[in-house]
Amino acid sequence: MKKTLSLLGCVAGASLLLSQAALAQDCDTITLGSAISLTGKYATNGVHAKNGYEFAIQKIKDNGGVKVGDKCYNFEVIYYDDESKGDRGATLAERLIDQDKVQYMLGPYSSGMTKAIAPVTEKYQIPMVEAEGASRSLFNKGYKYLFAVLSTSEQYLASAVTLAAEKAQEAGKDTSSVKVAVAVENDPFSLDIRAGVLDDAAKYNMEIVIDEQLPRDLSDMSAILTKVKLLKPDLLIVSGHSKGAATAVRQIGEQKISTPMIAITHCEAADVTGNFGAAANDFLCSTQWAETLTYEDPIFGTAANYEKEFKAAYPEYAEKKVPYQTAQASAAVYVYKDSFERAGTLDKEAVRDAIAATDLQTFYGGIKFSEAGNNIAKPMVLRQIQNGEYNVVAPSAFASHPLNYPRTPQ
Amino acid sequence: MKKSIFYALLLAITLVAPFVFPDFRTQLATLWLMIVVAMTWDMTGGQMGYNSLGNIFFYGTGMYVAALISIGLVHDVGFYNNAARSELMTFTDAQYFTGAIVGIIGAGLFCAITAVVIGYLTFGLRGPYFAIGTLGVAIAAGELVANWDWVGGGQGIALPVYPGNLDVGKLFFYFLFAGTGVALFIFLKWLYTTRFGAAINAIRDDEEKAEAMGIHTLRYKLTTWAMAAFFVGVVGGISAFQLIHFEPLETAYQTINLGIFMVVCVLLGGKGTLWGPIIGAILFHVIKEVTWNYLLGWQWVALGALIVITVVYFQDGVMGWLMHKKPEWFGIRVERKEAPQ
Repeated sequence: MKKTLSLLGCVAGASLLLSQAALAQDCDTITLGSAISLTGKYATNGVHAKNGYEFAIQKIKDNGGVKVGDKCYNFEVIYYDDESKGDRGATLAERLIDQDKVQYMLGPYSSGMTKAIAPVTEKYQIPMVEAEGASRSLFNKGYKYLFAVLSTSEQYLASAVTLAAEKAQEAGKDTSSVKVAVAVENDPFSLDIRAGVLDDAAKYNMEIVIDEQLPRDLSDMSAILTKVKLLKPDLLIVSGHSKGAATAVRQIGEQKISTPMIAITHCEAADVTGNFGAAANDFLCSTQWAETLTYEDPIFGTAANYEKEFKAAYPEYAEKKVPYQTAQASAAVYVYKDSFERAGTLDKEAVRDAIAATDLQTFYGGIKFSEAGNNIAKPMVLRQIQNGEYNVVAPSAFASHPLNYPRTPQ
Repeated sequence: MKKSIFYALLLAITLVAPFVFPDFRTQLATLWLMIVVAMTWDMTGGQMGYNSLGNIFFYGTGMYVAALISIGLVHDVGFYNNAARSELMTFTDAQYFTGAIVGIIGAGLFCAITAVVIGYLTFGLRGPYFAIGTLGVAIAAGELVANWDWVGGGQGIALPVYPGNLDVGKLFFYFLFAGTGVALFIFLKWLYTTRFGAAINAIRDDEEKAEAMGIHTLRYKLTTWAMAAFFVGVVGGISAFQLIHFEPLETAYQTINLGIFMVVCVLLGGKGTLWGPIIGAILFHVIKEVTWNYLLGWQWVALGALIVITVVYFQDGVMGWLMHKKPEWFGIRVERKEAPQ
């Protein structure tokens, strides 16, 4: 049957492509497992991550699969819905390992969920390459089987503090005159962002005028914004995943907050430009990855190419930015491919060691793990939404556009 | 005689189950957790007529107390829970096990004492007011802990991973849960036959009359709740070590999950009976695992439907239904002729 297919392919003049497809079908399967948030408060990003996994798996398949020794394999993932709840995620991770006999795990979405699942994979000595857990608290536990392709969260908005300091100095003012307001979700990721911002603000002797937590359901921060109006900070930091980002952009617009610099996380994942239009203008957004950066690899091509092909494969993203949550999920699958090939075996321990030795250039940026398992080869960048476009403004090595300062409230 | 064979058989099943189904050890352990929280809920809810929605408070508090004791015996707690620390903090095997055992027992005792304090404040409330009052305590506790940096705040606490062989570890937790469950069952089986059992039933049936008969109701209520809290605290403590990482709002003080599930288990199995909560917990756990596996996306709808059906059609639960259909099984003699209507 496959031969006939190839023959037909020759006749059709597309022999190369089709025989590749036929080859891909002959590959065996390596099963990965992932408990991911398909419902609950992290569902938006859970789906972004899942799409990233699936896209990478398809891409790798199209490129001849994973070559381990002289055999080839394709990835397949067993998913469960962790409902954005830690204990559920931990139970499901056990089920994946115990009942579904999964030997390699992909991460869940969010630092909190990763914190719940990492002890389980560690306990079973199952490697987990995760792409969505950035909190530093994941990497001080001595875990040997946890690897993260992304930069840790204290770096997310630290460059916004530096920008605010630069602007103060340009205006001839001392950095200690800068007032900072911080409003974050009470979860491991956002608390780590807060810690990073407070550390950096302390370096410049900035004054923290507001340091508050977003309410549990993240749907209303008007009380905090009323305070912002009164205390007039120079920099407002908000972090609360996609829901927090959407709430911040909507209510900052509604309450006509005129803070000159506002930095938030998860702009792309919440599609703030598509959902709130001009209200999102001049917001600073931290990102792990941008499609304009000059990274590339043989499977996905350049960062820009990744975005283009991903949009083609998932038309629901056509009108918005491909969020970095998707790109890093794909990068995690790519790390597995690379590690399996270097290990040359499916032996779990050998694969774990190969992952630890990863030194890879990808469309997502460099990937090299520290002893603790976090990626130390990739910087964070800060983009500003300028007339609906995301333009890189910091750090200066990557900046493509100057910063709009002060922002123009809509 | 027949009965002792029945109990011996059950005990045998308990002992061999994790070996017959090695892949389901964690789920079996969770089943025991459900049985314990359902039985303890029934102590006040079923036997004493005080429907608490806040028993999850003791579960969460048990988790935290056990974890804090085990950390505190070895390290500086505030430093250990500081998310930004870069130093590795380890436990030796001996430290782990001492911490776990002392922590779990400490959790039970602490919860028993807190139950007396909270009970003193809330047992003046009756019916729905008591339910809401206790729910409020659990929610408030979750929020307070989530904002307390010394215990990790919203980050939660990550305990060390079980040292040594993994399979032994799973058996360790299974038998901790199962042991607590069996101990609780034996304790309640005895307790419900004593004067104490009769007294709390009297409180349920008519508290004023019970009071008038000279029963010091508050003392009985506090004692009952403290005993229930002890066992919930213990399983909370075990859960902390089994889950390894937990955080306050979704895991420890999970009012809308376990906090409600325990009530559903009891309603499903039959309130105010010894076996009802156990049967309810088993049914509920199996239904939950099956729907969560095969009806993904609809699992909450299925669960909601189950609750509605139970409440509307089987208000007395499985045990109540059985008692009605087969009263002779329960030693109730029915003279059928004398019941013309």
